[in-house]
Amino acid sequence: MYGGALIVAALVQTAWLVRMPIAGAVMDPVLVLAVATGILRGAESGAVVGLAGGLLQDLLSGGPLGMHGLSKLVVGFGSGLFERSIYIENPFLPAVAAFAGTLLGEALLNIVGVVTGLGTVSLRDAVPRVLIQAVLNSVIAPPLFRGIRALDLRFERQH
Amino acid sequence: MLEVIAARRRVAVFIGLFLFTVALLTAQMRSVDRRQVGPIGTAALTLLLPVQAGMARVADAGTRWWRLYTEIGRLRQENVRLRTEVDRLSQDLTAAREQAIAARRLERLLEFRPQPGYLAVAARVTGRDPQRWFSTLLVDRGSRDRVQRNAPVVTAEGVIGRVIEVTPTAARVLLIADSRSALSVLVQQSREAGIVEGRGASMLHLKYLSRTAKVAAGDLIVTSGLGGVFPRGLIVGRILSVSRQSGALQQEAEVEPAASLARLEEVLILVPKP
Repeated sequence: MYGGALIVAALVQTAWLVRMPIAGAVMDPVLVLAVATGILRGAESGAVVGLAGGLLQDLLSGGPLGMHGLSKLVVGFGSGLFERSIYIENPFLPAVAAFAGTLLGEALLNIVGVVTGLGTVSLRDAVPRVLIQAVLNSVIAPPLFRGIRALDLRFERQH
Repeated sequence: MLEVIAARRRVAVFIGLFLFTVALLTAQMRSVDRRQVGPIGTAALTLLLPVQAGMARVADAGTRWWRLYTEIGRLRQENVRLRTEVDRLSQDLTAAREQAIAARRLERLLEFRPQPGYLAVAARVTGRDPQRWFSTLLVDRGSRDRVQRNAPVVTAEGVIGRVIEVTPTAARVLLIADSRSALSVLVQQSREAGIVEGRGASMLHLKYLSRTAKVAAGDLIVTSGLGGVFPRGLIVGRILSVSRQSGALQQEAEVEPAASLARLEEVLILVPKP
């Protein structure tokens, strides 16, 4: 189920969302899924979903495998570290978590890009774009969180 | 104890995945194109790329439709703007044509040579008697401009009437076509005297010509200077036809006014020099 959701999210992002940038920022549902999985199911699940989703993005976007994988692995795992210390029913949690996860993910992505020599980072350009992307991800986070919870419930009922 | 084991396991899984990813990325960076998907990646791409391409085509079609839609909206706005511009330019053109026509009329008025002892006061026609179209008209000059009752009113083409009412800022002009109008005239060639009367129509009636007078169609009719209203020598019109009834003592003629009485916009009022 998670695999299907990840594939759909990665396809939607690489085929559709990249064509609709808002001030250079593109929504990243894969990252939101990694954050949601980490918070709802724990760090290990978050790390696995993050890595799988990131690698899928790398595969479909034509970039070197591992760039998105590495950043989303860390984001998914990091989100899972808060699994037991936050109140999951808080209505603002999805948006806040997605916002923070986006900042972390983009920071890691840029660091990886610089370290591997794939690109340089201009903070003046990157900061507004990343902030807008964080806001966009916050907007899509609540329905995606609800979707993940629905998947979990269905999974629990079946088993 | 279980918590500690779970925590260690979490960290171990993370470190394992992290190292795997770093190794993968390093291998990618060392490859020629910085991308080496391998057999698993190739298999995944074999399945997913057609789907991605189909979705991309859908997105491209959507983008084209959106562009077309926004283009239509832009064209509509452009159309409205251009229509407004055309309306404005049409109004400007109409105003410019009107000004040009007015300028030509005024040039014609300037061709009029005032009679000795008179000043020509230019006036604009501001109204007509709607009941009897050819009879009277209002002009925007009055006693403030030294316009007096019975002052002759002319255009460059000829006589059109006389002032019958005066207010400080306006005057009413009785046209020569009015049935109440009569003026003493001469046939310019033969110098025969007569009276031109209006008949409430576009044509004037010349009467009291002697039976022996030599008048013919086309002869010019001018004011005689008798009667104290019109100065001598102003053109009134041209004879259209002459009628000689057997046994009658006089001849009569149909006269076409020299001035176009139905299309007056500016006139000259002759006032005595101070």
